[in-house]
Amino acid sequence: MSESVSETMSEQTGPADSRGIFSKDLLDACISCGFCLPACPTYALTGQEQSSPRGRITLMRLLETGDLAPDDATLAEESSLCLGCRACETVCPAGVQYGHLLEEWRDEQWSGLKRPWIVRPLLLIANRKWLLRILGLVRRSARKRRRTAPDQPTLMLGCFERGLFPSVSRSIAALDPNLAVDPDQGCCGALHAHNGELEKGRDLARALGVRLPGTIVTTSGGCAAHLADVIGRDRVVEASEWLLKHNADSESRPLRVGLQDSCHLRNGLGVWKEPRDLLGRTATYVELPSAGSCCGAAGTYALVRKKESKAILAKKIAEIEAADLDLVIAVNPGCLRQLQTGLRKAKSRTKAVHIVDYLAQITRQ
Amino acid sequence: MDNIPPAALADLKALLGERVLTEPGALAAYGRDATPLFRHAPDVVVQPLTTEEVAGVMRVATRHRVPVTTRGAGTNLCAATVPLSGGIVLSTTRMTALKEVSRDEMLAVCEPGVTAGALNRAAAAEGLIYVPDPGSKEASTIGGNVATCAGGLRGLKYGVTRQYVLGLEAVLPDGEVIRTGGRLVKDVAGYDLTRLLVGSEGTLAVITEITMALVPNPAAARYGVAYFETMADASEAVRDIVASGPAPATLEFMDTVCIAAVEDFAHLGLRVDAGALLLFGDDGEPDAVDRSVARMAEVCGKRATHIELAASIAAAEDLLAARRCNLPALARSGSMTILEDVTVPRPKLAEMVAFIAATADKHAVRIGTFGHAGDGNLHPTAVVDADDQQAVEAALAAFDEIFRHAVDLGGTITGEHGVGAAKLPYLEHRLGPEQMALLRRIKGAFDPLGLLNPGKLGS
Repeated sequence: MSESVSETMSEQTGPADSRGIFSKDLLDACISCGFCLPACPTYALTGQEQSSPRGRITLMRLLETGDLAPDDATLAEESSLCLGCRACETVCPAGVQYGHLLEEWRDEQWSGLKRPWIVRPLLLIANRKWLLRILGLVRRSARKRRRTAPDQPTLMLGCFERGLFPSVSRSIAALDPNLAVDPDQGCCGALHAHNGELEKGRDLARALGVRLPGTIVTTSGGCAAHLADVIGRDRVVEASEWLLKHNADSESRPLRVGLQDSCHLRNGLGVWKEPRDLLGRTATYVELPSAGSCCGAAGTYALVRKKESKAILAKKIAEIEAADLDLVIAVNPGCLRQLQTGLRKAKSRTKAVHIVDYLAQITRQ
Repeated sequence: MDNIPPAALADLKALLGERVLTEPGALAAYGRDATPLFRHAPDVVVQPLTTEEVAGVMRVATRHRVPVTTRGAGTNLCAATVPLSGGIVLSTTRMTALKEVSRDEMLAVCEPGVTAGALNRAAAAEGLIYVPDPGSKEASTIGGNVATCAGGLRGLKYGVTRQYVLGLEAVLPDGEVIRTGGRLVKDVAGYDLTRLLVGSEGTLAVITEITMALVPNPAAARYGVAYFETMADASEAVRDIVASGPAPATLEFMDTVCIAAVEDFAHLGLRVDAGALLLFGDDGEPDAVDRSVARMAEVCGKRATHIELAASIAAAEDLLAARRCNLPALARSGSMTILEDVTVPRPKLAEMVAFIAATADKHAVRIGTFGHAGDGNLHPTAVVDADDQQAVEAALAAFDEIFRHAVDLGGTITGEHGVGAAKLPYLEHRLGPEQMALLRRIKGAFDPLGLLNPGKLGS
């Protein structure tokens, strides 16, 4: 086995023997230096090369050249074990766009019936605009507010956020009365792009870009990164970026508050200072040691890879407990759900809150 | 499985359970390190946690005559960890205990899987530093650093890994555990096996614990940059600087190809019309550092076209970043990067640099040269299109001439990356047949069955 794999392992993808799964320039960019290893949470879990970004790119190359069979067990395992947090991109000297490579990989690896069963109903719900609208009505997310001026920004309502955390859209609408709200909008497609439906994910983002003209403000870091990738960074603003321009200082700082970054917001869009500034102005801000690394929510990861997700979360909860926080703030609905679950199970005194809900709350006081 | 008997595999699984990997995909991932062109997958990967488990793995390997290649993070650039004969890859990445950092004795004791960055942070908490400073320090392991005698940016003043290893625990191929050296600065009892194991690239024993000397964190550091019309001018400035006083901590240079690539990548405001850039700096007590940097600027002034001293820490960090991002900046211009590592005596720097440029032209290969000018260590780096077989061969032909010329100038084929499989064909040119034979006899004394990292040093 080893002989056949090794002898035909080619340096990079050649035009003659590629299967067309990956963009050649993306795959060729990796120089295999291994600088990504210490940044990868799953490599930290296993210490195994194939669970590192470099190792996964080696696997992708062998899939592309046909040296590993499409049904190879390690390919299936590693495409799913990866959190997709893109922490590797921030330390990569060669500028490898790992997030895009993972999307292309899952587009192949998780196509059709190969997709984890637990992800399928989520994609089906997110596909249906009318269902999301009813979800918003039932759960009372932000109400319709017509756009009256061409330079007026519009709020993105998110798909699952409407059902899981409807207060978030209400809070940001209250914080900024100038934000237009259009309930007749669908999913941004990040969920699809990260779960093996790359083109569908891009189509949905483009459709959302048409439906909501001008600047789009979003309360989800993960959605912000995907949407910006498809329709352009200039049209997408994440909530903490947006509110930083609108929010004033608070005189007293009664609460001890920590933050959990959204991986794609931090590693994809480079937005990490803004939420810290907002919190620093209004609370006693405590930087958690691993604030910048993944909490294990990672989109559908907490559903698909329960064991690893819990192992990553356990460290995070221990840190939060040690820091003795009143609140830990999330900037993405998936992280919020993950932290709430972990803190509840640990019977912690700390509460996890979305940054927009937090700001709305202290503004009201 | 062609190289490993099923009984050996069963013994390994009995010993390590789930920490034995046999899936083809996992094995393929261990079939390469950071070196381009060299590939060979192992038959099995094991992840021991303790010295006893390493000894157990070696006993299994000896009993069944299976080759063993020890691997840390796999960031080396000489294919030292590619298991050319298959067999077992022994991964040390889960042996990560940092057992002790002693301020009193100025040393640390750790397992091989601790990264150089982690050791340095632990040392810093005690006001100390771990001196060797390889570019890969955040990812690479101490075990790997010792096995390849890693160098870095501080070689001229502080030396390289070998100067800091005080003692080692290592497992021999038959499973015997030896302890060499210890915690002492002075200790001449017996042959210096510690130094023999440093740089032995996993061909003599498996290193399982390292006792490493640390030094106090310098109080201050300052940097400056000088531009020259040619690399020859910069090389002469380097020679004059070293001759004019105590060795400074930093003397790094890059040629015009590198300056352009770095500026294009990092936008640091470098002078792209210059033929060479020299980054100089020193660390120590503030007064002494100021004097040292002023002296270097003065010596450069005779030949330099332009000199800037970094006024702030941010400016200094920009300069260091410029030097450190040479490799990625170059790598972005092609799909295969071949980073080399010749070293020549300092007086021959200008001659070697000129030879590299002429050889690159002759073979029509784009080679940028940067390196640790202070210690004569050059990193000529070729960037080619991996799909263009002719270009790859032209680059290899150019490097063949470059290696041989470095040796002819009294230099060496590798300063800090190691020999591995990549440089083995040139080793005899460097050492001569008598030393090659002695190397093999030493190898035979440690590893009579030739199980440790076959196809590398001593083979």
